[in-house]
Amino acid sequence: MEKIDKEKREKAIDLLRSKSDSKLITHLNSCVRCGLCAGSCMYYITMKEAKYIPAKKIDLVSSIYRRYCTLAGKTVPALVNAKDLDESMAEEMIDSLYGSCTMCGRCVKHCSIGVDIPYIVKKGREMLATMDMVPKTLQATVDAAINTGNNMGIPTVEFVDTIKWMEEELIDEMQDDKARIPLDEIDKDIFYTLNPREPKFFPLSISAMAKVLYAAEASWTLSSKYYDVTNYGFFNANMAEATQIAKNLYDEIHKLRGKRLILGECGHGSRANRWDGPNYLKKAYDFDTITAVELIGGYIRDGKIKLDKSLNKELYTIHDPCNLVRNGGMLEELRFVVKSSVANFIEMNPFGNDNFCCGGGGGALAMSEYNDRRLKIGEIKADQIRKTGAKVVITPCHNCVDQLLQLNHTYKLGVQIKTISEVVADALIIIKTN
Amino acid sequence: MEWYKLIAVAALFICIMVFAIQFIRLIKLGVPKDLSKRDGDVKGAVIYSFTNAMAPAQKESAYMHLPTYAAGLVYHMGTFAALLLFVLLMIFSFAGIMLPVFISTVVSGAFLFTSLSGIGILFKRILNRELRSLSGFDDYISNILTSGIQLVSALYLLFPSVEIFYFLTSALLFIWLPLGKTKHLMYFFFARFHLGFFYGWRGTWPQKQH
Ligand code: SF4
Ligand code: SF4
Repeated sequence: MEKIDKEKREKAIDLLRSKSDSKLITHLNSCVRCGLCAGSCMYYITMKEAKYIPAKKIDLVSSIYRRYCTLAGKTVPALVNAKDLDESMAEEMIDSLYGSCTMCGRCVKHCSIGVDIPYIVKKGREMLATMDMVPKTLQATVDAAINTGNNMGIPTVEFVDTIKWMEEELIDEMQDDKARIPLDEIDKDIFYTLNPREPKFFPLSISAMAKVLYAAEASWTLSSKYYDVTNYGFFNANMAEATQIAKNLYDEIHKLRGKRLILGECGHGSRANRWDGPNYLKKAYDFDTITAVELIGGYIRDGKIKLDKSLNKELYTIHDPCNLVRNGGMLEELRFVVKSSVANFIEMNPFGNDNFCCGGGGGALAMSEYNDRRLKIGEIKADQIRKTGAKVVITPCHNCVDQLLQLNHTYKLGVQIKTISEVVADALIIIKTN
Repeated sequence: MEWYKLIAVAALFICIMVFAIQFIRLIKLGVPKDLSKRDGDVKGAVIYSFTNAMAPAQKESAYMHLPTYAAGLVYHMGTFAALLLFVLLMIFSFAGIMLPVFISTVVSGAFLFTSLSGIGILFKRILNRELRSLSGFDDYISNILTSGIQLVSALYLLFPSVEIFYFLTSALLFIWLPLGKTKHLMYFFFARFHLGFFYGWRGTWPQKQH
């Protein structure tokens, strides 16, 4: 490993001296290393190695805090488990904080104390990002978003072509020339966003959402340049990059004078824009920000769309994306939409706020060096799905979809994976008003 | 006052001062200044965080590890009782009050039991490979001092001749409390608050209904 630049190391340590509020200092001082969080983390459950215990991961960060930011750690480091931030520590941090934690937060609620483990993991990632130690694969995804406006580097021409193609499909399906997938239109009620996996691999999920918006007679638009709801800056924890990505979307909605930012089906993207975005940009957003799940839930509740559950007859289950449900409060709304759209539904065990991560969170899908680990921890999710007996797994997150597709293949589950808009679109009753 | 009592009282004073400084710092730093639009009931969530969310049925750290959980509970009760006992004994010694033998014996028995819980947890830490790998001096010192004060309290209540030993152990504990992981005595409450704040802001606790 390269030597750590002294100045950058100081900057990284400085992050632990943050005086913005009492949260950081509280969580850095709270863990009692009882180890009881081990059984709540899928890394430990599947691999049974001490390094995967959540407390072990955060202790890397808090031991550095004790070493440089407390009197006891400065004077008698061994007594209070205080450690130096050197090359071997940094290496361990990369493997543990980027490679062994999806920041799903499942361990938090089960911790004896209530330590916010992913919050400390993220702080550790921020330290590594400050020292230019983000895994290259993850950094490449962030770079693509910064340089091209979307994390997959899709050229605008290609994106526009895909949208036009989907629009033609929509017109055909609706048999209505007025069916649209609007691009770059101003003064619309809805500024809709996508996960770039949609135009790249799953364009049908765009047309599914367009069908829902058509049925609801929504006034909406996509941007041809900044439509990406994801923010991998949330994962690499380079705050400047996370801020830049959030700002692109913020500026674009202002440019097009959109009224509401609707976060497409992406867990971390929703979290990064709704809860973190205003804090990155250091200003409250002057427009409403809601997820696609809430938008659809509102349409159902207001009678703007009509659904026929009998059109979705198979047995369905939900995979709860951690960032939307446990970390986003979407448990009930997601169930409301699903139960309004399908005839047969079964929960996983556990589910909701207690659900296991699919294994692809925390940027894991972008870090190919940890692929084996990612698929291994996904075994828990595969078992959960298998035990439900469901034929279709619904999840309102394209990152989860990607991981679930890989689990489906690896563990031979024989299920279909669908997004929420796809399931709702399948149950839509289209009422022609003219 | 005897020199060893003076040392213990001075240590308690230092302990309270250090905790007070940490407490004031935390209060001054305040709650997160979140600029996102709140979508839940933060107050309700903070209350939930200190109540139902603490129930053993809600936490895998409790219901998947019931013997450890029960031992931990007893051990923590013993620690708080030992701290309380120290204060009471100081007051009694000033006021010239003697504890009736019956009460001393019962309380001593209770401390023996709570200290054994602590020692059990210490053995678990030593014997369990993974827990051992998670541990450093702080973990052992913290356990030895907190289990130790309970054991020494039990002895002192029955055998006043160990008085010096009792007060010196107390002094060591008071000095260590705000330095080692034992400081969770105070940070625990802040951690539960922040947990409630986080989940409450987003509508996870109490579950948001549309
Ligand atoms: S359960 Fe909580 S307090 Fe115990 S070791 Fe894990 S993170 Fe630390
Ligand atoms: S946040 Fe999730 S992956 Fe990370 S330590 Fe906790 S349970 Fe494990």
